[in-house]
Order: sequence, then C-alpha cells, then structure tokens
Amino acid sequence: MSKRYLRAAFLLVLAGCLDAPAAAAQEDLALPFPVSSYTLRNGLQVILSEDDSLPIVSVVLAYRAGSLQEQPGKTGLAYLLEHLMMFNGSLNVGPMQHIGYINRVGGEPNASTMADLTYFYETVPSNQLGLVLWLESDRMRTLEIDAAKAERWKQSLLDELAQRAASEPYLESSLAFDRLLFSDFMHNHGILGKEEDIRNLTPGDIMDFYAEHYAPNNAVLVIVGDISLPKVRALTERYFETIPPGRDFPPPPRPRPPEKKSLVQMFPESLAPYPAFYLGYRVAPSYSPDYYGLTVLDYFLLKGKTSRLTRRLVKKDKLAFFLNGGIEKRGDVAALKIFATSNTQSSADLCQKALLSEIGKLRLNPVPEDELDRAKNVLKRDYVSRFSSTLDRAMFLAEMHFSPVGLENAPRELGRYLAVTPAALQALCFRYLMPENCIIMNVQMR
Amino acid sequence: MRRRLSFLLAVLLAGSYAFGQERFRKSPPVPDRLPELNLPKIDSMRLSNGLTVAVIYIKNCPFICAQLTILAGERASPERLPGLAGFTAEMLSRGTPLVSASDIEERLEAIGGIFSATATLDYSRLSLLFLDEYLDRALETISLMTLQPDFSDRDVAGLRFTQRYEMLQEERNPEFIGRRQLLRALFGDHPYQKGMFGQDVFRNIRRRDVLDFYQRFYRPNNALVVLAGDLNLSAAARKVSRYFSTWREGEVPRLPTPAPEANGKQRICLVDLPRAKDATLFVGNLIFPIDDPDFFPFLVLNQALGGTPNSRLFMNLRESKEYAHFAFSELEFYRSSGVFSVRARVIPSACHAAVQEILGEIDRIGREKVTTFELEQAKSYLIGNFPLRVGRLEAMTQRVSEIMSFSLGDAYWSKFYDSIMLVDADSVLGVGGKYLLAPPVVVIVGDKAALTEYLQEFPRVEVYDVKGALLYTMLKGVEE
Repeated sequence: MSKRYLRAAFLLVLAGCLDAPAAAAQEDLALPFPVSSYTLRNGLQVILSEDDSLPIVSVVLAYRAGSLQEQPGKTGLAYLLEHLMMFNGSLNVGPMQHIGYINRVGGEPNASTMADLTYFYETVPSNQLGLVLWLESDRMRTLEIDAAKAERWKQSLLDELAQRAASEPYLESSLAFDRLLFSDFMHNHGILGKEEDIRNLTPGDIMDFYAEHYAPNNAVLVIVGDISLPKVRALTERYFETIPPGRDFPPPPRPRPPEKKSLVQMFPESLAPYPAFYLGYRVAPSYSPDYYGLTVLDYFLLKGKTSRLTRRLVKKDKLAFFLNGGIEKRGDVAALKIFATSNTQSSADLCQKALLSEIGKLRLNPVPEDELDRAKNVLKRDYVSRFSSTLDRAMFLAEMHFSPVGLENAPRELGRYLAVTPAALQALCFRYLMPENCIIMNVQMR
Repeated sequence: MRRRLSFLLAVLLAGSYAFGQERFRKSPPVPDRLPELNLPKIDSMRLSNGLTVAVIYIKNCPFICAQLTILAGERASPERLPGLAGFTAEMLSRGTPLVSASDIEERLEAIGGIFSATATLDYSRLSLLFLDEYLDRALETISLMTLQPDFSDRDVAGLRFTQRYEMLQEERNPEFIGRRQLLRALFGDHPYQKGMFGQDVFRNIRRRDVLDFYQRFYRPNNALVVLAGDLNLSAAARKVSRYFSTWREGEVPRLPTPAPEANGKQRICLVDLPRAKDATLFVGNLIFPIDDPDFFPFLVLNQALGGTPNSRLFMNLRESKEYAHFAFSELEFYRSSGVFSVRARVIPSACHAAVQEILGEIDRIGREKVTTFELEQAKSYLIGNFPLRVGRLEAMTQRVSEIMSFSLGDAYWSKFYDSIMLVDADSVLGVGGKYLLAPPVVVIVGDKAALTEYLQEFPRVEVYDVKGALLYTMLKGVEE
C-alpha cells in the first residue's frame, strides 16, 4: 500500500468513527403510517397497519423458509413448496382454488421465494379479509401432497429450470460466479435448485420441509389497509391460534464478517452471445453498521441513468452495452456484484480495467457531494416507494420484522442511508473494495 | 380382514384432521358488506394560455406524479411518417439548446424522478414521478423539456438508432407481432392504422419532421397537466402557471377521425415466426369508442368470457381441453373506436381446434345469456378490482388523464361501482349480439413449418412475414 493510500486510510478510519455518534444522536422517529403488533399463543407474530384511503386490504404471510434452509442434495425445496402452496390446495381448498377464490372477488394473489424468506400475499377488497385469512390458515395448517402431486410439481419446476437455461444465456455462469463468491453450500446455491436434486426429492422430503418451516412460530402475518383493529384481532385468533406451533426455532445466525479472497477465473458459457464478466466483493452483511454506506455506494456506482459506472462505461466510453448489479443479501452474508456485457472481447477487457480504475478513484478522493446527493435521492425514492401501496407497506413490514433491525428501529433506517458522507463512502471502499478482496469471472463464448 | 382393518385405520388417520377441525374451517366465511368507494375528487381549472390543470389530492403522499398529455397521438402522424408522435415525445427528454440530455437526466434523478414518454393513437404523454419536496424543480424540468426542446440532428439520429433497435427486439415477441397484425387487419386504411408501424419507419424521420409535429400540436390549448399528491389546486395551478406561462397558445389542426367499419368477413392470417415453440393466437374485431354507453355491459361480458382464469376461455381451452397455456379476452379503447380481442398461447397441434373453440365461445356469448353466477362473478371481480387498479399513484394519475382527455365523467371514476351494478344479463346479451356476431379476424403467430400440417383445416390462410408483408395465400394448406 502506498503512503498516499495509508494517509487516506487513516483519515477515513477517523471519519468513520466520527460518523457513528452523529447517527446515534438521531432523535426518535416514527414510520409515516401507524403500526401495531401482537403475538398469538402459538407464536405467530401479527403486524397491523391501518389505511382507509381505499377500501382494500393487503395480507402478507412470510415464513423464514428459503434456499438458505435447504440441505445439500435437497435444493429447490423452498421454491417447490411455494408452488405447491400456491396451486396444489390444502385440506379445505382444492387445487387452483386459492387463486380462484381471490380472483373472483377482484383480488390479486401471488408468492415469492427469496434466499431467507418465502412470502405469500394477496390484496383484496377490505370486506374479503376473512376469506384471505381462511385461505392462508388452511395452507399453513395442512398441505395436500401425495406421490402423484409431488411428481407433477417437480416436473413443473424442472420445466421451468430447462426453460430458463434455454432462454437466459448467462444463467450457468451466474450460478458459477455465486459459487466463487460465496464459498459455502448454504449461501452459494440458487433458489431454483439443481436438476438432479429436484428429481430425487420424495414426498417425504417435501412434507418434512413443510412441517419444519411453515409453522406459525416461524412466520409473520402482516395486514395493511382498511381494517378495524379489534375485528382483525378476532379474525386472526379465530383462524390461526389453534394451529399447533412447530419445533423451537433457533435464532438466525449472527452476521458474519466477510471472508477475503481474490480470484480471477474463466468460464466457458455455451449460450453467451457476447463477451461478459462478473466482478464481486464480499461485503458486510445486511443491516450491519457498514451496510447502509455500502447500499449508498451501490446506488452511487450502479443505480439510475446517471450513476458513476453507467455514465463512464455505458454512455461515455461505450465499453459495455449492458451493466447491472448491486448488493446481494443472503441471510447473514452479502456481496457487491457487478455484471457487464460488451460487443467484443477487447471492449470487455477495457471495460473491466475502466471499472477497476473507477473503483480505485473512489479510494483516492471523496466523491462530490452533489453526485452523492443525487444517488441518495434515487435511493430515497426506491425506499419511500416501499410505502406506496398497502402491499408494498406489508412487504416492508414483514422484511423489517425478520431483519436484525426489527420493527422498533425501522423508522431510523432511511436516516442511516441519508447520513452517509463522502468520507464514509471512501472509508468503505478501503475496507471492502480492495484488489485483495476482488473476485472476477470472465465469461468466454464457446 | 387384517388388510381391511389397516385400510380403515389409514382412512381414520387421514381423516382425523378433517373430523377434528373446527366447523368454520370447512367453507369460506361470508364477506362483510361491500365498503364504499370514496375516490379523491378531481379539481381542475384552465390557465390563461388554455392549459388545463387538474389535481388529485392524496393526503400524506410522499410522491407527486405529474403527467402532461398532448391531445395528439399516432393518428396525427403524417401518412408517410407513422410513429412520428411517439418519436417526438421521446425527443423531448433529449435536451434543450442550453441544457444537454445528460443534464436533464441528472435533474430528473436529483429529485428522485422516474420519467417516461409515450404516444397512443389519440394522445402523447410525458409522465414524471418524483419526491414531493421537489415540485418546483420537477415543473421547471418538464417545462424545459416541453417548451425549449432542441431536436438536434445528432440526437434525432441517436434516437432513430435506439428506436429501431428496440423495435427489432419487439419483433421477436410473438404477442407484439400478433397484436400488431390484428390491428393492421382491423383498421385497414383507417387513420388509426398509422399506430401499427415497424422498425423501418424510423429511417425516414428527420429533425424538420419532429419540429413540424411539435409546432403543430404541442400547444397549451391542446394539452392538460394532471398532478396527483399532497397538494391543492390553487397552489398547483400557481406553480404550473409560473413555469408554463410563456407557452403560447396557437391554432391546432383538428383531425376528424371517423369510426372505422367492423370487419365484414372472416380472415385467417398466419405470421411466420421461425423456431417459435407454440402458436400465439389473436382473434378480434372492432367495437365502439370509449365514451359509448355500451362500455359497462361490455366490460362485464369481457370479464365473463375471458377476464381471469375463472372465465370461460381459460376454463375451456386450458383446464378442459388442455390446448392452451393461457387464454384471455381483452379490450382497448380509443376516441373513435375500440378493439375486442382474445389472446391465447396454444400447442401447435391444437391450433385449429383452439381457434374453433374461441370462435365458438365468442358466438355463444353473443347469442346466449350469461348465467346469474357468471354475471355476479364478473361484476364482483370488476368492482373488487377497481380500487386495486387505481391504487398506485401513476395508475391513478393515468386514469384521471384519460378521463379528462376523453371527457368521460363520473361514471368512469367515482360512480364506477354504480355503473357496474346496473349491468344485467340482458344488457350483456344485448352488447354481445350487437358486436360479437360479425366475423372476426384471426391471427396465428408461429413457425409455419411446424404449423402447416394443422393449417390445412382452414379453407384460406393469408401468410405474412414478421414485418407484416403478405407472402402468399394458402388454400387448404396449398400455396395459391
């Protein structure tokens, strides 16, 4: 490390220290909408938020179940369960009937699986809240599964896997890059699962995963919209309280400091139409003190048409015609990932050099305030848009509930992002965006 | 006996959950009374230069959505330059003589803005969603773009390239190709035909064309601004006036748009898309314009026929016959016309049978009353879904912009529930008989080589390439 770097690093450590008390001194804030919560006897957490501006209500039932909970040889289970619970039916609700009931009253149902959580959600006219709670409680309580149904949905998942492999030319390399970036099985396998694992899943595996993770004491129920609190309390108790709890769930693992490694690898991709590369850094995990600055850094570098790397690599130098990336959270670990495609191999090589040079510049000098403010306003827009609709708000509350932040500290979150200074950003580049922590994978066209 | 006992035990065990469950779990609960819909009021006024300003007040909203509508769309593009309306709208964000395109982008992102520019057949629209503390900066930027566009040759050439590239991508999408072919066949020589252009049109657009379109139609007396957020009309109008008062009103050409004739004879069109795995079907015909009183009964008809997976088309083609991945019916409305269409993706071998089923379902709903269950289910969906559709700020702003552009009135906004409630099975049958018994146009998008065997069952098929050029006609599968 040169002397210039050392001096800058020292000043930045100091700057980082000075930032901390300022953040701690923030006054008590509240979210811009009312929130209340309670816990049912079986451990199910319920969060409510009233909003009578439109006669609708959104319900999110989120389970701490995702690819992180899968074991080696059993990948794809969380995604398979999402499909089964959406379409397959439960004791009192036939196949496809869940969607039918919701559609008939003008509602919109959906579900999504992440690394750490699976969300089931509906928005309906507010007089139909009872219907949603009846449906959700039925599939939390029972799941109708037999060998034939298991085979049908496994095949559906395998078809999706094949379709995506055929239509997404960089899928294989993207999964390979995750294996480089995250060295352990828990974090480095995809949500879709591996083909051979899915083929070998038995109805027993599916039922075990369901029984183990889709229990009331491993879930949060969030209801946002035109509701009456006493009435909702009575409804949630009626439909959910008698569902037996699952085993005792250990607290989620504590966030881990990122492992440091540097690597450059080549990956031959059979479908790649253009040369491309992935570049990544392991960074501090979600909601750790450094996470806020790292997210601002992600916006500064990559989000929006005027972000630093978009302007340099796509617009000014025209070295990449596609560029994306950002902070990827996988439970207790996280990484900054960047992906770029270029017209020619020489453009891709130059693009990679230019990208590394831009990151090098961030370590040398603090970024201009106005450029940082612009990035923070784009971030603020995206953050505040999470309160835009009743469904957005319910998803936000579910995520906050499961995050280390918790609901009580959620109002301070936005302030933490907006308080990031140019000096703090520079310090983070020194801490995480260093050559010895950089993993690169060049995609070679076959 | 032992086997019988173990079977009995298994049944008892399997059923124990069912027998043990509370009674209320066995069937869905009875819903409460439908809550009232109180949509925000739309306040509007006209500024001295003729610009209409409307405000939708939404308390505590952290964003404002501003939409500027110019009442001229692709219908107003010259005959030789279809696509010019959309191109002109896109050009507005490409800078002014003093502010570059990248400076405009910076200004927009500095206020947390999301900007888009589009043109439909009847109007062009700029839309900007931004953080609500930046109203002045947002209006200043929109006024810069609208009042002082540069339209430099370099930027026109740049946009030509981008638009062609984007259209090239679209022309790989069977749904885009199929819908375009259907509308081309339906609109024939009507002025709305100009909205169904291909990538080649961009070659011919020059700076003077963009400037000419802009000067003819971008006038305050031919425009309206709708703002939605935590703001009131008088404050909003003051600010809009501040940034748009130098916009001079002027004579705007009035372009009469006659109602096009509905299709008179059945046409089957195949668009050859090599290597397409499935066949994508469009079946449709022209209906009435958006402000017609038949709008609400037809909305209910469309819902019963193909609005959701519970509707007839999906249940028949996918669930019962297993021909289709999906099958829905859809409506599009314009100032002078409307389009009813069925969209389905089917397995190639079921292509002919699927078309017959679709034609049969269209005919049936045109001749027979819908059942009470279907009627109530369709109305329940439309009423329940309406507040979800307008729940997002951009969607609400767009809906109000359309209501104002087409002078639609309360039946399409605060009285929407009443408008749907009044529909009965007779009025549904009435509009079905009126609009759906004329022979429709059928468009099939798929790989000709894979489909030829199944197309022999159609007496006459017009075969087109992906750009829409007629290649030849097939009679019973044989090239004419």
